Amino acid sequence: MLTQLARNITVATLLAIISLLSGCAVNRATATVDPSANLGSIKAIHVIKFGPDNKSIDSLIADKIRSMGLTATTGEIPAANSDAVITYIDKWMWDITMYMIELTIQVRDPKDNFTLAVGNSYHTSLTRKSPAEMVDEVITNIFKGK
Amino acid sequence: MQSKQLIKPFLAWAILLVTIQGLYGCASPAETKGMVAQVNTSTTHPFSVGIRTQGGSETGAMDPSMISDTDFAKAIEESIINGRIFTSVVHGKASDYELGVTILNFNKPMFGGSFTITLETAWSLTNTTTREAVMRKNITSTHTASFGDSVVAVTRFRLALEGAARKNIKQGLEEIAQIAIKQ
Repeated sequence: MLTQLARNITVATLLAIISLLSGCAVNRATATVDPSANLGSIKAIHVIKFGPDNKSIDSLIADKIRSMGLTATTGEIPAANSDAVITYIDKWMWDITMYMIELTIQVRDPKDNFTLAVGNSYHTSLTRKSPAEMVDEVITNIFKGK
Repeated sequence: MQSKQLIKPFLAWAILLVTIQGLYGCASPAETKGMVAQVNTSTTHPFSVGIRTQGGSETGAMDPSMISDTDFAKAIEESIINGRIFTSVVHGKASDYELGVTILNFNKPMFGGSFTITLETAWSLTNTTTREAVMRKNITSTHTASFGDSVVAVTRFRLALEGAARKNIKQGLEEIAQIAIKQ
């Protein structure tokens, strides 16, 4: 009787693990640029800090932009001379430690707030990337074809 | 007797997990016919238009319903033709104007009797000769599918998504119908 119980518990546990693991290794990195956008003409970008962000992702984005030879500023109010504004949303998960599961970055025209380009990276726990690597992946994909 | 009572909760969990797995796998993509909008306008722009959609994705086995670029473009095309907003829709690069629509994001509710989905897209209409953008706008639309629309959660999700897409297309094309486009 006890053997039967142990077998059923094993099956249930196995199903639970399969169910949880089925979504564990998802990697997605996409970027789209609007046909009317000319990202090559952008020289100065302002990164607007996402309200709930307490990990200074805005600074990482600004650093990445500067490494591309462009001017970058951060803060809640866009600088007057910005050619584009970046907004972003970072999502975090816990699995042993906290990690960034998803980062979405939008490049907008400061004149009308229109979204010129959007990039997204999604990496689950087993293939997690550091915040700097996530930022690098998204920004690189957005500006790849400029 | 005691061991049977112990087995029951584990079996119940196993059945629940398998059911959840099964429901995820049943999700189907948003369908073109569910996204076609009825646009009432007396304006027909005397130009041809090409449509370029992006930001969509195919519905994977483990995903909720998604909007594919192809189906979204077809829905926009049918809506333009039905509403006679342009004289023709051209496939390829030989059009007078290019309509670009990018799916930026939409929320994915998982539980509840009603699913409300908010869809944000970016619309642009560009002259293919001068590359001048005559319209650029982010458009946000919301649609709720209730338990009365479907008792099956994955279908309810798809209906909410199709409704949000349909309203989005309607808003976008009504904006386009109102602008004055020069020859």
